[in-house]
Amino acid sequence: MAAYIIRRLIWTVPVVLLVIFMTFMLMKQIEGNPFRKSERAVPAAVQMNLERKFSLDRPWYVQYGNYVKGVGTGDLGPSLVLRDRTVNDVVAEQFPRSIELGLLAFGWAVLLGVPAGVLAALKPNSRVDYGAMFFSNVGFALPNFLVATLLIYFVSVKWGLLPTSGWTTWQHKILPSFTLGLVPMAYFARLVRGTMLETLQQDYVRTAKAKGLRWRRIVTVHVLRNSLIPVVTAAAPLLGYIITGSFIVENIFAVPGIGRYYVTAVSARDYSVVMGLTVLLSIIVIVANLVVDILYTVLDPRTREART
Amino acid sequence: MRLRIPVLLAAAAVVAAATVAAGCGGGGEKEKAGSGGQKAASQVLKMAWGAEPPSLDPGLATDTTSSNVLLNMMDPLVRLGPDLQPVPALAESWDVDGKVVTFHLRDDGRWTNGDPVTAHDFEYSWKRTLDPKLAADYAYQLYGIVGAEAYNNAKPAHAAALRDKVGVKALDDRTLQVTLTSAQPWFVQQAAHHSFLAVHEPTVERYGAKWTEPQNIVTNGPFKLAGWKHDASITLVKNADWRSADKVALDRVEGRIIVDGTTRVQAFEAGEVDALDGGGLPPADMPRLKELPEYEKYPALGTYYYGFNLKNIPDVDQRRAMAFAIDRQSIIDNVAQADQIPASGMVPKGMPGFETIEQHFLPPRADLDRAKEFMAKADDPKQKITLFYNDAPGHKEIAVAVQAMWKELGIDTTIKAQEFAQYLEFLGPPPNDAVYVYRLGWIADYGDPMNFLELWTSKSGNNNSRFADPAYDRLIEQARNTPNDEQRYEIYRQAEAMLTGPRGQLPIAPIYWYTYTNLERESVQDTFQINPLDQFDLSKVVIEEA
Repeated sequence: MAAYIIRRLIWTVPVVLLVIFMTFMLMKQIEGNPFRKSERAVPAAVQMNLERKFSLDRPWYVQYGNYVKGVGTGDLGPSLVLRDRTVNDVVAEQFPRSIELGLLAFGWAVLLGVPAGVLAALKPNSRVDYGAMFFSNVGFALPNFLVATLLIYFVSVKWGLLPTSGWTTWQHKILPSFTLGLVPMAYFARLVRGTMLETLQQDYVRTAKAKGLRWRRIVTVHVLRNSLIPVVTAAAPLLGYIITGSFIVENIFAVPGIGRYYVTAVSARDYSVVMGLTVLLSIIVIVANLVVDILYTVLDPRTREART
Repeated sequence: MRLRIPVLLAAAAVVAAATVAAGCGGGGEKEKAGSGGQKAASQVLKMAWGAEPPSLDPGLATDTTSSNVLLNMMDPLVRLGPDLQPVPALAESWDVDGKVVTFHLRDDGRWTNGDPVTAHDFEYSWKRTLDPKLAADYAYQLYGIVGAEAYNNAKPAHAAALRDKVGVKALDDRTLQVTLTSAQPWFVQQAAHHSFLAVHEPTVERYGAKWTEPQNIVTNGPFKLAGWKHDASITLVKNADWRSADKVALDRVEGRIIVDGTTRVQAFEAGEVDALDGGGLPPADMPRLKELPEYEKYPALGTYYYGFNLKNIPDVDQRRAMAFAIDRQSIIDNVAQADQIPASGMVPKGMPGFETIEQHFLPPRADLDRAKEFMAKADDPKQKITLFYNDAPGHKEIAVAVQAMWKELGIDTTIKAQEFAQYLEFLGPPPNDAVYVYRLGWIADYGDPMNFLELWTSKSGNNNSRFADPAYDRLIEQARNTPNDEQRYEIYRQAEAMLTGPRGQLPIAPIYWYTYTNLERESVQDTFQINPLDQFDLSKVVIEEA
């Protein structure tokens, strides 16, 4: 097991290098000047000073080499646009908030999505099933920005129950995390329903039933546990998505997280922020996948043998 | 500059507007709180800022939000009066002698650590902004000073020598002498821009790029930076030791950073904030918001225009026809909706000298008869053209409206959007050959028409039209050396005529002059004022009893 984890960790190095290289090349391909922030033309002298300051006047392989060296030492470089801050500052201050938002959203998804799926599967084609699947469809279909705007309008402006935006008290965190959690919630509900129905048809469930086990025990020990494997598989990339793909939710609810930087940094051609965040994202996804693979071995003994 | 909101969010704004409009009945009559209301016991202003300030270093800041935070934390040499004329601030007076401007500083300016504010601070700060090593985006704001451009352009080896040649010198603690490259009669006004603020040398040298963090920063203005949670909040508190602190009513300004326009409006409507920073209201919400008693609008110095690529539309009569076919008032009423003013020229209304400069040629309403006459006179008019704009909220709707208006002239217009940074590269100058017409705007840096008219000189980096006329360049050069206002305005009139007058070349068709729209609680409406350069002075704000 340990050898397996170490092997996987070593593999992340070339993957991250490849990610850096591809992002770097893509950034070089987009037109646009990071130092021209408005329609105002940038005088040649100013442009030159900025390029010199941020080493953009060096050949690309030198820039790439320096960047990789920086990442190796944990230095993601200065932001080209936020002049008082480095990418490390941005990550250190903003990233924990996005993780918090993502985890809370994930919490909503697990808390509401999984039970909805279970209930629907236990009574297929019943009212419970249709109700759960209706909400799942709606949750899946409604775009974040619509849900967010409606929630703010009704819950905050009209009824005055919760603050409109911000990220200070727990009350501030309810609406954004719920909005962000809606899609994974709907996804989990459908996924759990599907796999549960499949598991319920398995021979070992029939055997368990035949030997007289109580239904509740069959469901919790045999059915649910085996049905959760695809959920765990889906969870890892989903977790990456909700931590980093929260741009719209963060923007509308004014959550000072990192999601918005994924988009604004590209528009602003803030190369170092784009690179830094991409590296970070890829590391998260790699780690999340690793965690999932380890969880598999806990949930499904059959996968244990193939790996050791 | 403000951060741009993606299209998706514009869509959100539309949805929001629809839902909100459906939810509320029409607003009541607009009633202003009577002036001279009672001062409220609590002087804490809650406001929403539209962006995270990219930098609170006066040398590095380039955007409106940073600028407004800075101008309330720092003491500029001069501030701008209601007519944009400079009024004394830290400088109690100044003398102008040809190209030499001498500022006389008050003796009671203090940094928040107790150090006196001296002329040496300004000399240090301006030279620091010009230092090629700092690489300040707005270093060029200081290029009017002798030797400034040369120093900013210096190779590292020559920098030290050129630094001493920059024409800014502290003659003593209270006298700052500035030598300009030409008379530049607007220079004193320009000193109200945040690029001309002083920074505290020991603090900057000690903390480097981190000197603007709240635990390090040393300022010298009416408010102090008590907290700055990046992307979340900015808290300002009254600086009790400021030279005129007895005139400042507000004890605290609790600012939240809310980038999304619709959310800002909702935070206001939920009573969480009392004023917005004037960054504009979502166009889709405008019809409803305009009816609110908290709605305020202010004239702005800015021009929204369509530029022509003279290579692709070479005939001036066709450009005249196209400019005459645009129904500016209709665009304002039905599309832009923020009570903008139909633009007849490049220099916006409200600019000093406007009455002299204004050309009465381009009409506010479409004049199709004359447009068709011009079109008939055009030699080989282009019937298939392409109009480019940047993909930000509002521009597409205007482009679609103009497309329909030009259809009346038999012109088939294809409209194309581009992402902003790419768009700017695409426009050059010189512009890409695919461009026939392009959209841009210009917001003033300072209150002199020069700031708008110098754009159209042949060497200007902001002239994307290929318009180049040596006679025009000469006029602009002449204006730079004409200190007398009336004479200079007359020169500007001639320049404006060459652009948008009856015999002008019309490298642009101006659409509208900007306004700033805002929401302000009635308790602060009397004293919260935004000037035409988008600045607001919180030291003048008083919260009145509701």
